Amino acid sequence: MDLQTLILNLQHFWAEQGCVIQQPLDLEVGAGTMHPETFLRVLGPEPYRVAYVQPSRRPADARYGENPFRLGRHLQLQVILKPSPDDVQDLYLRSLEAIGIDPAVHDIRFEEDNWESPTLGAWGVGWQVLLDGMEVTQFTYFQQAGGIELAPISAELTYGLERIAMFLGRKDSIYDIEWGGGVPYGKIRLSDERESSTYGFEVADVEMLRRHLGDWEVEAQRCLDYDPPLVIPALEATLKTSHLFNLMDARGAVSVTERVGLIGRVRRNAIRAAKAYVAQREEMGYPLGNSLVEVE
Amino acid sequence: MTAFLLELRTEEIPANALPGARRQLAEGMVRVLAEAGFADAAVRVSSTSRRLVVTIDGLPERQADRTERLTGPPTRIAFAEDGSPTKAADGFAKKAGVTVDRLETETTDKGDYLAATVVHPGRATTEILSETVPAVLTAMRFPKMMRWGLGENYFVRPVHGLMAILDNAVVPMEAFGVASGRETVGHRVHGADVFAVDSVADYAGGLAERGVLIDPEERRGLLDEQAGRLAAEARCRVHPDDALVAEHVELVEYPGLLRGSIDPEYLELPREVVITTLRYHQKCLILENEDGSLAPHFLTVIDRRDDPEGLVRQGNEWVIGARLADARFFFNEDRKGQLGDLAGELDRLEFHRVLGSVAAKAARVGELAVILADRLGLDLDSAVVRRTAHLVKTDLLTNMVVEFPELQGVMGGHYLRLEGADDEVWTAARDHYRPSGFDGEIPESDLGRLLGVADRLDTIAGLFGVGEIPTGSKDPLGLRRAAQAVVKIVSEAGWELDLDDAVQAAVDGLDGVVETPAIEVAAAVRAFMADRVRRYLTEEVGVGADAADAVMAAGWQRLPELVARARALDAVRTSPRMRALGLAFKRVKNITEGAHEPVVNPGLFETDEERELHAASEVFAERLSECVGARRFDDAFAAMGELAEVLDRFFVEVLVMSDDALVRDNRVALLTILRREFLTLADLSRLQVDGGKK
Repeated sequence: MDLQTLILNLQHFWAEQGCVIQQPLDLEVGAGTMHPETFLRVLGPEPYRVAYVQPSRRPADARYGENPFRLGRHLQLQVILKPSPDDVQDLYLRSLEAIGIDPAVHDIRFEEDNWESPTLGAWGVGWQVLLDGMEVTQFTYFQQAGGIELAPISAELTYGLERIAMFLGRKDSIYDIEWGGGVPYGKIRLSDERESSTYGFEVADVEMLRRHLGDWEVEAQRCLDYDPPLVIPALEATLKTSHLFNLMDARGAVSVTERVGLIGRVRRNAIRAAKAYVAQREEMGYPLGNSLVEVE
Repeated sequence: MTAFLLELRTEEIPANALPGARRQLAEGMVRVLAEAGFADAAVRVSSTSRRLVVTIDGLPERQADRTERLTGPPTRIAFAEDGSPTKAADGFAKKAGVTVDRLETETTDKGDYLAATVVHPGRATTEILSETVPAVLTAMRFPKMMRWGLGENYFVRPVHGLMAILDNAVVPMEAFGVASGRETVGHRVHGADVFAVDSVADYAGGLAERGVLIDPEERRGLLDEQAGRLAAEARCRVHPDDALVAEHVELVEYPGLLRGSIDPEYLELPREVVITTLRYHQKCLILENEDGSLAPHFLTVIDRRDDPEGLVRQGNEWVIGARLADARFFFNEDRKGQLGDLAGELDRLEFHRVLGSVAAKAARVGELAVILADRLGLDLDSAVVRRTAHLVKTDLLTNMVVEFPELQGVMGGHYLRLEGADDEVWTAARDHYRPSGFDGEIPESDLGRLLGVADRLDTIAGLFGVGEIPTGSKDPLGLRRAAQAVVKIVSEAGWELDLDDAVQAAVDGLDGVVETPAIEVAAAVRAFMADRVRRYLTEEVGVGADAADAVMAAGWQRLPELVARARALDAVRTSPRMRALGLAFKRVKNITEGAHEPVVNPGLFETDEERELHAASEVFAERLSECVGARRFDDAFAAMGELAEVLDRFFVEVLVMSDDALVRDNRVALLTILRREFLTLADLSRLQVDGGKK
């Protein structure tokens, strides 16, 4: 199964489970969790189901396209089920069938793997899902986000798409997987992996990045100080600071003392944006409903 | 007698949480059964990755009835003159729950009283279980707990089913929002359909048919048996790994084991790299050839009986191949340059927010190591010591160690060796993190030992200096282990290093880095080190705790000498002579407390016992200096023992506190000298009369 069929089948499956099929966030982020469709939607009492692909940029993981297993930008398929349904594990296993993995002939195990993001003030409990020894999905029950205890709890499923495609095709290199229509991944992505590596490790203008980080941080604060706070613009500005930090880090430009401080600065605004979102949705009377009230 | 069965079905519980869960569940059930008067019932707890199971045998169907004898009001006020019951009688009858005509009369010294026998019927076992079991379940605690769904319940993982049956009847109860029943499910692959369990006796067998073995011991047995067989088939042997197999047991409902192959070309990688990939990343058992070299195979646990289409083996082989290829990529990348080329970048790596970068730390460690080498008279070039202090940390910057942090040190050793570094240098890189606490060998070379000691002393002094001091069970940075490693290295290297002095040098090296006054840091670190030295004596050398205290009171800073002294005392500490001497020495200490510089004037002696003790003390002093100089502590304690009788005679015949101040002071002086002599070896007053516990 090629990469695009994998994506289409998973999206189709999750659409049938009542998920909104969203589009990737049009900003550079390190993981699908940072998309407001996850980071903000998991807050508060509103039920929600969403799935989307998110290109995830990790400049420090880039390898000039030379390592057949590593990418500076990979694709995640992210699913949020809020509140987490009782049959979430079964749903997940059925999603594997949708991409041609028959659990009857494979070994599928859920091994403890908890997740924490200091930058987002978030943590969760869960597993890595191993398919015949291969980690194919990160499965997390969110417990806290933006420093806020969550109720209801969301289940987050993150599929590592290239890895799954590689594994199913038994390919020795990411670049050999088939994207779709007979076109290999390498023909589409290899040159930009090379360029991005060169840029991230050698060329990026550190002073410019540092300046912009400061600018976007202030911009996020201005949006948060605005009355009423502009939640999405504030979060987007904060995500820019996060990516700028990642670029500086990959470039080796973050000194030991600076690092903790920078993460703290990103986190402060992420937490403020989360709090502002919670207040805003309450003010709006929870347009998507209130799962805590419905049960009473 | 009846049997009870409880099954709590959940999503996959972390392997490391299961042994504790079984323990808590067993303790909780035993407690509530004892409270209900069912202390004889046998509780057994088992589990798989997806269920916790309690079976209780030997339960009565109900509690025994309990009779109670109640005494009421005197009969004289209980009945009116016409024999009709008064309010007092009515009231008592009501309290006892009987009619007045069932009341009895009890004759006592003080007269006749109304009495009644009340029978409290025992409660049904099922009723008691309905109440207590949910309480036991919801009281369970785990290192990391969670909520799910609407967030109303709190446990280690979401709960899906609760089966509770007593013989063949459901015990009604509710826990975590789930009501009890007699249904469960089997293994995800081998029996996922819901099925009803008719009776307790049918449960384990019913599950086994559906691919679930609930008994961890049984799973362990099957895993061991398969491992032996699969290894033999490939003509190799399993590298023993008890901890890993114990984890495998908890990871599954059915204990399958599968053998896969590795492309032999990957075995050219350093052994530790292959092992880390297999063992720590894929939880595989390692297979070895007869000669101990790695065999091109692995064993991996799977949660199923079979591999019907061979896909499971193929998949595992692919993953391991990919991981080894990835490791080889990093290894080759790292080998493109010299390790030393990276040393300049150590300032990018944070050691500690306040204590600075790894480069700053390596510089301090280098200086400290040079000082210690000088004190020890080691023949090492200072420039080499300083440079190696940086080199041994440089592998932290390699691709391999960034990917596999557990290979720190090991990779540095490999890279330096392959680059042709001196044996002393590459083994120092390899060895300087070991031992971990008291576990493991000490580094091979003097340079490795020196850097191991200096690195840890700097860490301990630095973290004490910024207030990150271990308390109680909290020691997140492993400072106790670090201090224990220092003690072990110095002791086993036979180094005459004054630990006080070494601590002082480490603290001095942090001048200007930490704000806490050096004198406070040094005092705290010394006390911390002394505590670890004591533990070394009791745990590693194996001497009694009282003997350890006794010898440490006479100085603990020089370890080889201390260990020899501790062994010598431990050998004789329970002898009658030493016990007698211990008691006598307590008196000596009491009498001489606060005494000044002693001068003994033999002219003032009044008794033979004084003269005898004086002479014996002089002989002892001479033998002591001979023996201590030659480290013959057995002889030293033997000589000390010989004073026991002399000292006893002295205390029997001589009244130290004479009215004559001169005579008294002279006697105190005699004992003060003796005390000083004794205290070069041990404070015998710390020996326990009962011989002390190990």
